[in-house]
Amino acid sequence: MKVRTIAAILLILAFGFARMNFEQKLTDEHRAAYFHGAKLNLDLRQKVGQLGFLAALSGFRSIVADLLWIKAHMEWEKTEWGRMALLFNTVTTLQPRNMMFWEMSAWHMAWNASLAASQDPKQPSLKLRLKAQREYFDLGRDFLIRGIQNNPDRYKLYEQLAYLYKEKYGDHCAAAEQYEKASQFPDSPAYMKRFAAYELAACPGHEREAYEKLRAIFDLGEKERAPTLLKRLKELEVKLEIPADKRIKVPEGFK
Amino acid sequence: MTHSFRTVHKNFSLARINTIAGNTLLELIRLKVFYFLLLFALLIIGSSAFMVNFTFQEQFQVLKDVSLGAMSIFTWLLAVLSTAMLLPKDIEDRTLYTILAKPVPRFEYLLGKLLGVLLLLLVATLLMSAMFAGALYLRQQMVIAATLHGVSPDQVQEAIRAIRAETFTASLVPGVVAIYLKAALCAAVTLFISTFATSWIFTILISVMVYFIGHIQSTAREYWLASGDGSQLAKIFMFFVTLIFPDLQLFNLVDDIVAGNAIHLLMFWKTVGLGVSYLGVYLLAAYFVFANKEL
Amino acid sequence: MTTPAIAIRNLTKVFPIPFKRERVVAVKNLSLEVEAGQVYGLLGPNGSGKSTTMKIVLGLVSPSSGSTEIFGRNSTSVESREDVGFLPENPYFYKYLTGAETVRFYGKLCGLHGAKLKDRTGELLKLVGLEEACDRRLGGYSKGMLQRIGLAQALIQDPRLLVLDEPTAGVDPAGSREIRDLILDFKSRGITVLLCSHLLGHVQEICDRIGILHQGVLVREGKLADLISIENQTELILEDSSPELIEEIEKLILKSKARLVEKRKPQTTLERFFLEVTGGKP
Repeated sequence: MKVRTIAAILLILAFGFARMNFEQKLTDEHRAAYFHGAKLNLDLRQKVGQLGFLAALSGFRSIVADLLWIKAHMEWEKTEWGRMALLFNTVTTLQPRNMMFWEMSAWHMAWNASLAASQDPKQPSLKLRLKAQREYFDLGRDFLIRGIQNNPDRYKLYEQLAYLYKEKYGDHCAAAEQYEKASQFPDSPAYMKRFAAYELAACPGHEREAYEKLRAIFDLGEKERAPTLLKRLKELEVKLEIPADKRIKVPEGFK
Repeated sequence: MTHSFRTVHKNFSLARINTIAGNTLLELIRLKVFYFLLLFALLIIGSSAFMVNFTFQEQFQVLKDVSLGAMSIFTWLLAVLSTAMLLPKDIEDRTLYTILAKPVPRFEYLLGKLLGVLLLLLVATLLMSAMFAGALYLRQQMVIAATLHGVSPDQVQEAIRAIRAETFTASLVPGVVAIYLKAALCAAVTLFISTFATSWIFTILISVMVYFIGHIQSTAREYWLASGDGSQLAKIFMFFVTLIFPDLQLFNLVDDIVAGNAIHLLMFWKTVGLGVSYLGVYLLAAYFVFANKEL
Repeated sequence: MTTPAIAIRNLTKVFPIPFKRERVVAVKNLSLEVEAGQVYGLLGPNGSGKSTTMKIVLGLVSPSSGSTEIFGRNSTSVESREDVGFLPENPYFYKYLTGAETVRFYGKLCGLHGAKLKDRTGELLKLVGLEEACDRRLGGYSKGMLQRIGLAQALIQDPRLLVLDEPTAGVDPAGSREIRDLILDFKSRGITVLLCSHLLGHVQEICDRIGILHQGVLVREGKLADLISIENQTELILEDSSPELIEEIEKLILKSKARLVEKRKPQTTLERFFLEVTGGKP
């Protein structure tokens, strides 16, 4: 009689043993698919720790992230930038592969919070206001950089970072670098290479390089000859003193 | 009284199993379990209402997360509570005696009961999926209508396509199937526990414990498989945790869905195969214990 | 010799008490046979081992040693239960099913289906007198009706043996009378009945043989008539006799070695009187 009970226990243990490796492989496949093959530089303990924590939330981390996100929005309505930053940190830790969280966090910091800081009526000193503004730019930039670390296989955050450098820091060299990186991805939109070249053109000491790139794009055909492209090329031709016979032909009526 | 009604005894009869399964389903539907579904519907609709100020990506994301999360929890709850009551109720009402006094093998009885619960879970999952799809579709139409205002005519097609792509992604179906499998697995575990448990409260408590430990079982497994660091005692403990508890994390495809990843077909079928294996093993274990139970 | 309906051979059942050294011996080396076509009463106080014996015969509990057979088939095999129908004590069945649905449910478990099942169900409902009530849910049935539905489900596969545990307990006199009549009807059709009951009056009325269990041991067993008849006494019941005839008989008795123990007017039973007054079948 007891035999059957022992058999039940043995069955469960044997099944546990048999599925161990299969489940581990499946888990690895799962992670690989989730991370799209992006190699994260974490040693095993850290990996186990981080993933263990995430796993322990039992599939609710999506909902927890969403709830915190909604909370962040509520803080936005109250312009509580500091609290927002904290919530954004938690949300992006919970869902590191969700691009939207990284993008929006960066946007809130680098655009909205920074603007509010620069216009802060409670801060009389212009110097301090600008300093705070700059700090928010940095926060936004950090979000994008961490976002890229967790999603090195996607172009979007590179593009956002480039845009941030361009708009907020006025750092065209850095912007050019990021646009270039974004353009390397197979699913990256066609304009990325152009944008990289535009920024490069504004980066001191790289005018020649920029000209080569823009010229190459121009030579690809009629479709690529956007007005901005033509304008930049014209400006560079003047700057680099390109001989007249090598200059591009512009359509009639172009200014 | 003629004896023409005598039938030849079959060692395995699908008809018997179906009879018990159908009866179990009827019995369970009469319980308050379906009120759970009402709660779920409210949750979906409720979550939509809070989201007017968000971008449409955010709206869809929260809608999906909340709905799938709720589905996951409710199917699990349904599975555990329905199954925990099956055997104790039949024993208390003595209907178990009348059934087993007929030429019904104990294995068929267990299988029939489990199938009844699985059918209930299927009905519940389908209903919830329908509600979820409906809410998603409604939201999609609202977003499309709102978007059409601020968008130039030549970008309309692109905008609509983008919105549609965001809502109904291909990974939703495998995700729901995985949710169902997880609940089915938990039902089988609960059935197994109820065969030797002394009360249904005990059954439910153990099932809940299995649920939580099942979600971190993969961590224990990795700790055990990783060589080197860690104390011997901890390793042995992790070894047994790995052996005894199911890895429920593998049935969580929700994050993939929300991250917009497609779920590979092969990986999906492996998950299904694993789930069915769990079902079979726990059912068999339940039979081993139940076969010798003094009634 | 025909196969006995139930053959119990050297049956012993020991229940271990968890966490203790002692064990409970529920049944001790029991041997008895129930012949086909009999109504057998298994009696005994609470804890005497009746229920355990019954459950072992039905295969719900396994013996520690010894064996039980139903028409020659070991109780541990599932097939043996083709020949037996069981009505447990205070059964609940499924309250939301109607009487007909309940009987059909058990019929399907026995392999019946389609027209055969329908016909059989109808036949049995008629037999137990529940034709009109068969489409009402069991939740609305009285105790007596539940017992009768229980009998119907026990008979669905046309078994040769019926095992009834306290079939008349808690049933009102009219219903109880009906059940007892049904049991006698079953007997007349050749069905063997094993009956467990505390209501000794009822047992006395319908059983052919009885066995009395006490603390797991069979203390008395045999034909009811033999066991309870008072050997050296004779009962004469006269109708329309004159007082002179009575006097003469008394004189004859005085002359013989016999002794007149009692002279009285026979009474109808309280049960019969009650049923006559309330309009039940006497």
